[in-house]
Amino acid sequence: MTTPEVHTLTGPYVLNALPEDERIGFEAHLADCQSCSSEVAELREAANKLGTAVATEPPPALKARILAEIATIRQLHPLVRQEEPVAPQPPAVKKGYTRRSFFGLAAAGLAVAGAGAIAIDQYRDNSRTTKENEQLAALLAESDAQMVRGDVKGGGNATVVMSPSKDRAIVLLHGLQKLPNGKTYQLWLMDKSRTMHSAGLASGQATDQAKLIQGGVADKIYFGLTVENLPGSPTPTLPPAALIAMA
Amino acid sequence: MSEESTALPWPVMVDPEAGTPADLMARVARGDSAAFAQLYDLMAPRVYGLIRRVLRNPAQSEEVTQEVMVEVWRTATRYDADRGSLTSWILTMAHRRAIDRVRSEQSSTDREQAVAAASSTTEYDEVAETVTTNLEVEQVRHCLSALTELQRESVTLAYYGGYSYREVAELLDAKLATIKARMRDGLIRLRDCLGVTGR
Repeated sequence: MTTPEVHTLTGPYVLNALPEDERIGFEAHLADCQSCSSEVAELREAANKLGTAVATEPPPALKARILAEIATIRQLHPLVRQEEPVAPQPPAVKKGYTRRSFFGLAAAGLAVAGAGAIAIDQYRDNSRTTKENEQLAALLAESDAQMVRGDVKGGGNATVVMSPSKDRAIVLLHGLQKLPNGKTYQLWLMDKSRTMHSAGLASGQATDQAKLIQGGVADKIYFGLTVENLPGSPTPTLPPAALIAMA
Repeated sequence: MSEESTALPWPVMVDPEAGTPADLMARVARGDSAAFAQLYDLMAPRVYGLIRRVLRNPAQSEEVTQEVMVEVWRTATRYDADRGSLTSWILTMAHRRAIDRVRSEQSSTDREQAVAAASSTTEYDEVAETVTTNLEVEQVRHCLSALTELQRESVTLAYYGGYSYREVAELLDAKLATIKARMRDGLIRLRDCLGVTGR
């Protein structure tokens, strides 16, 4: 499945027309595909108009039954929003990192421009490209932005731009080997206890791409890239195509 | 919010005193059962209508409507207006429940090999007749007619028919990838025609 194909799953997903396994796979993809989730929200509003269009008055007795039932049902606790940190923590600057990260940012700037151009070809979707570039620029503007880079087995490299205070990272994949059909790249983050957490999929068909990781970035020590069967794997298949120390 | 406040005329109107559905929902989240009764009046026709359209069986439709409305009450505290309109939140829940019921019925039907296909077709027209003619319905009808036939069939067989995209592909004798794509571009066209936003 290529990335554009994954993208078309927004339609069947909104219509609840995906079988269980594909639904779970797509929801995992949704978590790190911002353009997909905004599309899902829009298409859902449209689909639900179809529901509104067939409105029918329910039998009057139903209301009394439901009101009687809710009187016996306790409501869920509200979810408490996470508060913004009072002040961004000063970045834990690694020895000898400051200078490198400065050059790194300039290099990443070039990579951003590159990724943008690629995205236009790949998705023919300017709004998405603009959004990606804006996200990248915002991340680079963070005072604690850091960048690490490593080679990918089979060709190409992966660059991770991250901001611990924002708990976000953008992964730029460049010059990757195309994978056979049915295979996908999968992104991972390793925590201090050496457990790998999936951070979403990257197309096995696109050689250059940018992926945004929102959340779960700050305390991670390694970035990993593996090759998995679609629709991705709950655990990484070893050895990884890349393993890059993040801090 | 924008959707509700600019909503087109609807047979069940809220008391202007009651405020917008979003205000109602905030009161429901604080455990106000009178607000829930008002929300019920506003939403139940859409919930019941959709479920009835998918399930056809009136008794089952009432059951699932009850499940959904009770779930709205139970999870009102978790509703987040930033993630979609209230109508959409509730109807999404209703559609999912209806589809879950279809799929579980289907598997038990497959097991028992007892198919009551005839009885479900006779109910179709009856349901169709109960559709209220108003502007919003007209708008949806108009926008549906602007789709290509394959887009329209793909979208409606999935949404109203409760079929998976594989089943839709089977029914329409089309490739899986085609059906997936038609579902998406059909909805996109519908979205543009209806002028809805996801916020």
